Amino acid sequence: MSESSKSKSSLNLNPSPTLQCKDLHEYLKSRSAQFLETLYNYPTICLAVYRELPELARHFVIRLLFVEQPVPQAVVTSWVSQTFAKEQAKACEALSELSVWQEAPIPGGMPGWMLAQSFKKNLKVALLGGGRAWSMSSSLEPDGKARDVAFLDAYALERWECVLHYMVGSAQTEGISADAVRILLHAGLMTRDAEDGSAVITRAGFQFLLLSTAKQVWLFLQHYLHTAEKRSLSAAECLAFLYQLSFSTLGKDYSTEGMSNNMLVFLQHLREFGLVYQRKRKAGRFYPTRLALNIAQVRGVGAAPLAAPAQARGYIVVETNYRVYAYTQTNLQVALLGLFTELMYRFPNLVVGVLTRESVRQALRGGITAEQIIHYLEQHSHPQMLKSETGGIRTSSMLPPTVVDQIKLWETERNRFTYTEGVVYNQFLSQADFVVLRDYAKQQGVLTWQNERSRTMVVTRHGHDDVKKFWKRYSKSS
Amino acid sequence: MADDDAPSDSSLLVIIVDTNPNQRYITEDPKVLTNCLDAVIAFANSHLMQKARNELAVIGCHFHKSEYLYPTPGKPLDVRQIDGQYELFTLVEKTIKMRLVNLIKSQPPEEKPGESLLAGAVAMALCFIAKFRREATPGLRITARILIVTGSSDTAAQYINYMNVFFTAQKQQVLIDVCSLDKHLSLLQQGCDITGGLYLKVPSLEGLLQYLLWVFLPETSERTKLVLPGRGRVDYRAACFCHRELLTIGYVCSVCLSVFCKFSPICTTCHTVFKIGGPLPIKPKKKKMKV
Amino acid sequence: MADDEQDTKEYRWETGYEKTWEAIKEDEDGLVEGLVAEFAQKAARKAVVPRRGPVRLGMMRHVLVAVDCSEAMNSQDLKPSRFLCTLKLLEKFIEEYFDQNPLSQLGLVLMKNKRAEKLTELSGNVRKHLKALQGLTDMALTGEPSLQNTLEFAGRVLKPLPAHASRELLVLFASLTTCDPGDINTTIQALKTEGIRCSVIGLAAEVRICKKLCQDTGGEYGVVLDDVHYRSLLLDSTSPPPRARALDAGLVKMGFPHSAPQTNQTDPGTNADPPITVCMCHLDDGEGVGGEGHLCPQCRSKYCSLPAQCRTCGLTLASAPHLARSYHHLFPVEPYEEVAYEGQAQYCFACLRNFTDIDKQVYRCGRCHEFYCWECESVVSTTLHVCPGCASRPHLYQRLPDSS
Repeated sequence: MSESSKSKSSLNLNPSPTLQCKDLHEYLKSRSAQFLETLYNYPTICLAVYRELPELARHFVIRLLFVEQPVPQAVVTSWVSQTFAKEQAKACEALSELSVWQEAPIPGGMPGWMLAQSFKKNLKVALLGGGRAWSMSSSLEPDGKARDVAFLDAYALERWECVLHYMVGSAQTEGISADAVRILLHAGLMTRDAEDGSAVITRAGFQFLLLSTAKQVWLFLQHYLHTAEKRSLSAAECLAFLYQLSFSTLGKDYSTEGMSNNMLVFLQHLREFGLVYQRKRKAGRFYPTRLALNIAQVRGVGAAPLAAPAQARGYIVVETNYRVYAYTQTNLQVALLGLFTELMYRFPNLVVGVLTRESVRQALRGGITAEQIIHYLEQHSHPQMLKSETGGIRTSSMLPPTVVDQIKLWETERNRFTYTEGVVYNQFLSQADFVVLRDYAKQQGVLTWQNERSRTMVVTRHGHDDVKKFWKRYSKSS
Repeated sequence: MADDDAPSDSSLLVIIVDTNPNQRYITEDPKVLTNCLDAVIAFANSHLMQKARNELAVIGCHFHKSEYLYPTPGKPLDVRQIDGQYELFTLVEKTIKMRLVNLIKSQPPEEKPGESLLAGAVAMALCFIAKFRREATPGLRITARILIVTGSSDTAAQYINYMNVFFTAQKQQVLIDVCSLDKHLSLLQQGCDITGGLYLKVPSLEGLLQYLLWVFLPETSERTKLVLPGRGRVDYRAACFCHRELLTIGYVCSVCLSVFCKFSPICTTCHTVFKIGGPLPIKPKKKKMKV
Repeated sequence: MADDEQDTKEYRWETGYEKTWEAIKEDEDGLVEGLVAEFAQKAARKAVVPRRGPVRLGMMRHVLVAVDCSEAMNSQDLKPSRFLCTLKLLEKFIEEYFDQNPLSQLGLVLMKNKRAEKLTELSGNVRKHLKALQGLTDMALTGEPSLQNTLEFAGRVLKPLPAHASRELLVLFASLTTCDPGDINTTIQALKTEGIRCSVIGLAAEVRICKKLCQDTGGEYGVVLDDVHYRSLLLDSTSPPPRARALDAGLVKMGFPHSAPQTNQTDPGTNADPPITVCMCHLDDGEGVGGEGHLCPQCRSKYCSLPAQCRTCGLTLASAPHLARSYHHLFPVEPYEEVAYEGQAQYCFACLRNFTDIDKQVYRCGRCHEFYCWECESVVSTTLHVCPGCASRPHLYQRLPDSS
């Protein structure tokens, strides 16, 4: 009998792992406690962390904020009604993981909770006042050439789309800086093509393109911060500045006075990506754009972005006959749609496409998941789709349920096989040998499959050694 | 309208602050008003701190008129950070304080302060909430609630106005919370019961901020999860129009629905004359069929 | 092709084409947003009925709704069929009716097979009516209706009721014929002398006998054009009608129960251990056993929901907010006057919305002299019934009724 090579392992056949977009919490959890200590000295970070806490955790923190002594854990547990004990446990866990509070014994021996000193102090500063002003707050004289919100939106969109266009490879835009390319490569969104050394988009890159803008920016910045350590920029300072930007007011100018050189370099990078606008490099003021403000919105699932008439307004209408109408003119959005729909007509302000099995399968082959396609369509839904009633069928998404289900079905169509690794035993000389070996394997519980007529059986990988030894003993003895 | 179980995307809180100078806690100690106001502003900022998309409005209810203290109609103040406080919070604080000073200064000097006209302020708040809901991006789930902070007692003179705004709030799914600093307010308590809000009489003014944060900060979906003071028994008896006494059995005019404690031949509100013979219904006599 | 004469006596097919697209004009920027807003405002203004002053309204109403269940209801000119459309709209009608008239009672009657069948008793229980309606969806519709039998049935039910409450009948009639045992005119005369007000909503065409019925008894007759019109006709009849002169005004004795405390007193009228008592409104169903409820002040029997009519002693039970719900009919808010916008105010007093060029008209309150936008005006006149400006001025907030 012979053993054929092992069948394909289950690991390689699944599509490439989907892009992970960690929100602030997961990012912070992955850092050390000392890093968090330095971070909590910035009121902005405390505020940002507070906003991302789960609901119950937020209420715990605000109740403990004005209490000086540690509070018994039993008291904290009693704040939540019994039916929601699970949520309460989750909230406590989140707070401990982020080192927002610590255990502190109460005189009397009972365990208690107390907020971390730096967090408490700086959150109070952010809420009530006191402490030092944030770096970009010096007063400015009114700007002679002030920019309004519409200009800032257009500017941010244009700059960010440069990056996206570069990824897609459309030639019509100016290139981006080497720094940005390095970040894209580091993030795995593009790779160096072996032949001519130019950067080529990867599967992860396609998935990246389908994310919402806020998530894209946040992911990009995460990788930027990773590489920042190498360039001697303090990640804590950069993160703090980023969050300061996200808490600023749109349309207002802020001064660069008092910013360290490192921060000024960081500011220039942000200017390139479209997060801030500065007229000249040396100008003493800058305007944060909507991209910067949206960093704090990453957690919102399915929520409409900050009310932005021009930029984030949805433009896609999906009909129950699988037709997709997109009221857009930008090439990038058309290219993105072309990834998973078959484009049929193109008008000056409208693009019409059809979701067919072929087009969706082509996208699925490229590593995009059905969930991402559906999410993209939902994200950019035309406001009319949000308003229309679905005739009595209450679904959680505003897309027609037939289309959503069909896309998911097309995805599960591809998963018709489950793979288990094993070793094939065949070409037995006699029926008796086969029966003995098969019964032994079954007894051991490692038999995956057997066919008596063709005298073939498949044994799991780790059972193979055992069965092999048994066979050797058996053939020796008989 | 927002689903009660799922957390909303944006929560609008309208705070109505009673600034009437004839409230007892102010007449006893005028400095207490600043402390209470600071507590309310800190509470308002805590609300904004919960979620990035939460919104706030503050109405000051003075005896001669009510006005929006925040947001300002027109351009907001140009505010820069002076300390570590988040810029938006500084803006809220400065705007409220500035406009409150203007409101108090604008009071007519020779008029004696009457009662606090909270029903009118609630009506303004309801219009504001309706506008906010209309102008929001479609698909955004919004919950709205109104918090009334007052130290006055409630009078029956505004009964009709109060009832109208309570029923409107109930229809529009707006909660009305009441934080009473001094007296027991039975009429406002009825409003809390009708709309599903919370009523609290604060035992001491020093801990006002803690009471506000503990009881009134959670929004609708969170209130089911936390343990909060329950509703007391609300007194739903009607008051008779002649003596303002609460009745368990009364006589109601079928034309205008005013309540009286004893039978009288003429209704004082709509001047209908009632048939003599008491409240028994009179059966129409059977007419014989004429051949 | 275009016929420019606008002779109003002509039939519709003679007036040529109605060029509705010419109403749309773009402004300088090529946008139609301003025009759309104007259309919306005009539609909203048309929907507002000119208010009458404080009128004596018949607050406590007893209404019987008679639904035609004949073959004519199978017709599909209202989607999905006249009958199903009627049922769906009736559900909304019932909710709105009890919202507007909390102290009133409603009963449902079916005009089936030349007879009048009672579907639900005259009561104030919303859920019972809705449940009964939902059970009707699969009913087979055959035969012809009998208008006279329905009128006699209504007369029998409504006659014994006290005269201070308004007694009404609403007929939803789809057939063009009626099959009656005798002379319907005598029945109409009898109803007229009783003071029972009959209104008819026709689903097919105008029928003379229905018109006569409505005219004689003082009701309203309407024929629907489509389902939107049907809905608005139905909802119009939820508002209380101005009182007929024949109605007697009376003082009705009412009880306002204080919430039942959880005490240990035994209640002789019930058959359970204290403090759990059976509530009287669910006596037939067998549900409603519990500790909480409202005790009738006269006879101490328990009811779980108000308003209710106490079965033991006949006292009407209500709570103060129920009465207050109807007060806005009696003390209506004064309508705002419409003025052209010329920059009199920057923003709306109630909602702080800035007035822009889109607002061609703003509204001004005659008493407090504040300016409001059109959206706030519709909120105030339809739902709120309180003018925010007047309610916050010390000399204007009293809602004393005018002498009527």
